[in-house]
Amino acid sequence: MSTAGFNSQNGTGTGQTYTNGPSQNPVALQQPPGVGYGMNHQPAYNPMQAKVLGPPSPALYASGPYQPVPPGPQLGSYPPPPAQPLLTRPQIGVLPSHTPPQSASPGPGPRQAQATPPAQATPPPPAVTSTSYYTGPPAWQYAAPWGPAPNHVNPAAAAPPHMSHGSAQLPGPGAPPTSIHGYPQPGTAPPPMNPPPPHTYQPNRPAYGPPPTAPPAGPPGATGTPPPPKVDAQCWRAASSARPPTEPDTQEGDVECPGDVAGNGPQAPNSYNHVDNRMAGAAQPGPPGRHLGHYPSLPPGYQNTLAPPPSSLHPALQAATLPYTQGPQPYQQQPGGPGPDQLSPSMAAMSLQSGTPEALRVVNLLQERNLLPPAPVPAPTPCLTQDLQKLNCSPEVFRCTLTSIPQTQSLLNKAKLPLGLLLHPFKDLSLPVVTSSTIVRCRSCRTYINPFVSFLDQRRWKCNLCYRVNDVPEEFMYNPVSRSYGEPHKRPEVQNATIEFIAPSEYMLRPPQPAVYLFVLDVSHNAVETGYLSVFCQSLLDNIKALPGDSRTKVGFITFDSTIHFYNLQEGLSQPQMLIVSDIEDIFLPTPDSLLVNLNECKELVQDLLKSLPNLFEKTMETQSALGSALQAAFKLLSPTGGRMSVFQTQLPNLGVGALQSREDPNQRASAKDVQHLSPATDFYKKLALDCSGQQVAVDLFLLSAQYCDLASLGCISRFSAGSVYYYPSYHHQHNPAQVERFQRDLKRYLTRKIGFEAVMRIRCTKGLSIHTFHGNFFVRSTDLLSLPNVNPDAGFAVQMSIEENLDDMQVVSFQAALLYTSSKGERRIRVHTMCLPVVSSLSDVFAGADVQAVTGLLACMAVDRSVTSSLSDARDAMTNAAIDSLSSYRQSALTIQQPGLLAPACLRLFPLYILALLKQKAFRTGTSTRLDERVFAMYQLKYQPLAFAMLIIHPALYRLDDLSDEGALNINERTIPQPRVLQLSVEKLSREGAFLMDAGLVMYLWIGRNCHQNFLSQVLGVSSYAAVPEKLCLLPELDTAESQRTRALVSWLRDQRPFFPSLHIIRDESQLKPHFMQNMIEDRTESALSYYEFLLHLQQQISK
Amino acid sequence: MIFLTVIARLADGLPLAASIQEDEQSGRDLQHYQSQAKQLLRKLDAQSPDRCMLEAGNMNFCYFISQGVCCLCLCDASFPKKMAFGYLEDLHNEFCEQYGKRVPAVTRPYSFIEFDTYIQKTKKSYVDSRARRNLSSVSTELQDVQRIMVANIEEVLQRGEALSGNQFGVKPQPVDQLSDSS
Repeated sequence: MSTAGFNSQNGTGTGQTYTNGPSQNPVALQQPPGVGYGMNHQPAYNPMQAKVLGPPSPALYASGPYQPVPPGPQLGSYPPPPAQPLLTRPQIGVLPSHTPPQSASPGPGPRQAQATPPAQATPPPPAVTSTSYYTGPPAWQYAAPWGPAPNHVNPAAAAPPHMSHGSAQLPGPGAPPTSIHGYPQPGTAPPPMNPPPPHTYQPNRPAYGPPPTAPPAGPPGATGTPPPPKVDAQCWRAASSARPPTEPDTQEGDVECPGDVAGNGPQAPNSYNHVDNRMAGAAQPGPPGRHLGHYPSLPPGYQNTLAPPPSSLHPALQAATLPYTQGPQPYQQQPGGPGPDQLSPSMAAMSLQSGTPEALRVVNLLQERNLLPPAPVPAPTPCLTQDLQKLNCSPEVFRCTLTSIPQTQSLLNKAKLPLGLLLHPFKDLSLPVVTSSTIVRCRSCRTYINPFVSFLDQRRWKCNLCYRVNDVPEEFMYNPVSRSYGEPHKRPEVQNATIEFIAPSEYMLRPPQPAVYLFVLDVSHNAVETGYLSVFCQSLLDNIKALPGDSRTKVGFITFDSTIHFYNLQEGLSQPQMLIVSDIEDIFLPTPDSLLVNLNECKELVQDLLKSLPNLFEKTMETQSALGSALQAAFKLLSPTGGRMSVFQTQLPNLGVGALQSREDPNQRASAKDVQHLSPATDFYKKLALDCSGQQVAVDLFLLSAQYCDLASLGCISRFSAGSVYYYPSYHHQHNPAQVERFQRDLKRYLTRKIGFEAVMRIRCTKGLSIHTFHGNFFVRSTDLLSLPNVNPDAGFAVQMSIEENLDDMQVVSFQAALLYTSSKGERRIRVHTMCLPVVSSLSDVFAGADVQAVTGLLACMAVDRSVTSSLSDARDAMTNAAIDSLSSYRQSALTIQQPGLLAPACLRLFPLYILALLKQKAFRTGTSTRLDERVFAMYQLKYQPLAFAMLIIHPALYRLDDLSDEGALNINERTIPQPRVLQLSVEKLSREGAFLMDAGLVMYLWIGRNCHQNFLSQVLGVSSYAAVPEKLCLLPELDTAESQRTRALVSWLRDQRPFFPSLHIIRDESQLKPHFMQNMIEDRTESALSYYEFLLHLQQQISK
Repeated sequence: MIFLTVIARLADGLPLAASIQEDEQSGRDLQHYQSQAKQLLRKLDAQSPDRCMLEAGNMNFCYFISQGVCCLCLCDASFPKKMAFGYLEDLHNEFCEQYGKRVPAVTRPYSFIEFDTYIQKTKKSYVDSRARRNLSSVSTELQDVQRIMVANIEEVLQRGEALSGNQFGVKPQPVDQLSDSS
């Protein structure tokens, strides 16, 4: 049972219950044995892909939708296509290696044939932009015949392309109007959009043979002119002749492109769009600089290549894009009938903002070593119009793995990337709060009105999730902000993607309950030995006034060893009264009324208790722990009101209900084989957690222990009750000062942070999308309602989605997370976040929108589930396969020009690195000694931490500290915070003369090189020599030197940014902790794991299979 | 025993403060009664009788309206009427003293939820049989308790219109109280 429950994550306790389960399970069921969660998708979708993948060409992440596209049908259709693609593929692949001219020629040839005519007909620039966007799709559709089945799925989509194709040539002239439409908007955003089309184009073309015109035309043109330039030139001519005016516009974007094209003859088509964008970006202030910085080498290379025919190239680019655009244009207009106008804007926006081009720049991972950006990786910006993007939800709150949503499940399957959302819904924010007697929601799907709805007129609005038309209530006509009437679209609800409502009483099942805090403390001999009790009591004493709440706040205490001790704190007593219940089999409350007391009225008694508690058990010899009974007692105490239970445990519970046995074999910690006992040993804790959840009680677990405590079992108590888990391995008040400090700081944050009670969260998305699996700590009630007895600002969540109905007619889709909670002051509030993302129909657009960090974060969650339900090795394989699948899909289907190497779009260039980092992460590593509890805790962290922190845990940041300067420093509150660049995690980046800080999220290491500069040692560490650095140093001395101030400013700034306290270890080569530091050197080889380069070779090998 | 106490604004039924006794032992589900209370509060208006008792199965709702504030409680049918109304008046006085002036301006439900603490204490003194002796004054102050109207909650709620004095089906007074009525 335990496994089942676990795997469903937050299944319900009863029968079918595991709500999460159902969704997940289907996938698993569909897929063959090994393949568990979406990750492995063996069942194969495309034959093509399957082939490439080799062993597990898992069905992607798709769950349900997936089936419709079953291999069978596709296969049927497939045979003919494959042959073509295969043929073309080889050629393409070869081409690059061959001479540039050849490769260039094929590409261009086809283009010209098809594209050029239309280009002429239509006004160039506008057409380009608008069309380019759309071109993408058509191209893919073309492609469809030969390879990628996904498109087939969509009859509508498939059809149009053909149409466009044919029409492209003929209708070209007719197209003009469309191009015009596109033009104005595109003008601003020109080039970026183009990239996709080109990519698709070439591949298609060659493969494409079918269209008779293309082949013949292509060759001639190619032959006529010198290889790369020729093509361009031709196109260019056509374009230029057709319409000069357009050129200028396109040029701006494209200028740079030519160079790229030239550089990589074959690549040209693909890369140049990207390149163009990049270049364009460079010209502009912002983004380019960064890119350049990252890839210093690239620009030069491109430039060189460019050199040959710069001027001509231009045109070439334009031409190339133009043709595409034209072709697509017809397509676009026809199919999109309703929305051309809308579409074009979004397209334009996309091109403008974008990062798209850069996102798709082809990167050969085997050649470019320095891929890590010098600063933290920013979230990609969705390709939306500026107006929409301005209103969009912050990526800190809401992120999607794909910032461009694929139009169909088959397209998603083809990309082999997981589709999901990562949320940090209760993050500490300042946000607008609205009090209104009516909260405007869609009458059909209950979506809250948001910035992405449309107003048909002043009296009606159309829901952006279900498209129902709703009336605007009279009250909504008045805008309290501007105090004006008749402007419903200016209300704060429609101007803010994140907003909070004060809920009317309809949103309450019962009157708001007081904030109730119950502390359940282990006081066995073992616990007393660790000395945690005095730290806890002191922390609570220090922060008791800062506990969130009002005059009704209640507190209570339970301690336990082999018996349960209650404390009567009723007003009027002269001192706290301890009541011992030794009947742990049938626990009862000795005096129901006075165990939870009003904090205001009984503060003195509470303080008395906290002062005496540490001494009370000083001499205890009781070694047993009846945790299960203590939890039951605490549950009874909290049931009437709900509230928060904070449990402190220091050993394996070994008495009464919920008793556990040690399941860890220390000899197996470093085993390279599968890890056992990742799932709970008993369902006691899960069942109790579900009972707690039903009574609005959340359980937070603080585990302080040197020995195995079976966190896999104990953790369920928090996981299903929406609590949080803290783990302090080897906690000891004297021997481990770093842990003590961490515990103190964490406690302070824990006791004083905001808290919401009786919360529920629901995530809605536009019709056609469906959420099927949830990750995080909660219980799923009624299929999609997350029950959160408590919600805290440090909890992250993730969900997986599938596309159940094609999003054919939609330019954008929206996601809305609504969190209903009661504040500690008794206010019922609803926090609503809405995010809007564009829908795309081409695979390269899907790739261009990939958010590599979000993808990694979601994969980590999925892999945790997989480890528990299946096995660790399965999870590891699945992660590796995720990288193989997506990159091979990219290579096969999105890349127009094949070249040797391991190719990735720039936006996914860190993907293999992150996957490798996951494989080496405590949660998933094998062959390196890892305690079971630490592994399980790491798994909890991956699921629970908001993405920003999870990423640090996965891929730590390394900085050099001995040469910190104020250059580029941040200035916050008059403090100067140096911003050293992030270094690759490789020993080769270290130097004996330096000092390096590794920030791994929950822990930081400051490594001091053997020959570290004397200056750093004396000015920052305050020691005279390397040898004088103390063995266990966890504190930077506060020296009055510039170096010390800079270093401390950086460390404390890093710490301040997260809600937990990472301890700092200053280590030398001889330090015990050095192996921990070295294990995080992810790019290096270890005895049990591949180096980054080896891993890339492995991926390449698998991809080319 | 008093299970549920709600103080609301008469004008719109907005709940201002409340206290619930969720009794684990009895395991009573008060949800149904809560929604009845909500409906009732929405129906009450200035025309409604200012004191009334509504029967709901083996429980009674009692309410008391004054100064635009309505105090409502749910108690056992066996709970003495005098006690119930004494309790409500007590709450009402204290509440209006503390928050009365702010009542018309608030918009958020349960704006004065902190009054819960006072409600619980007061309730204790009325419910606890030992403490009741101290409340002997109640009986004398509430001479007119017998004139309180009695109706059935379901009938009232189903009537669909605002509750007002002449809409009440005034039932015969319970026998034990007839002696006092004149």
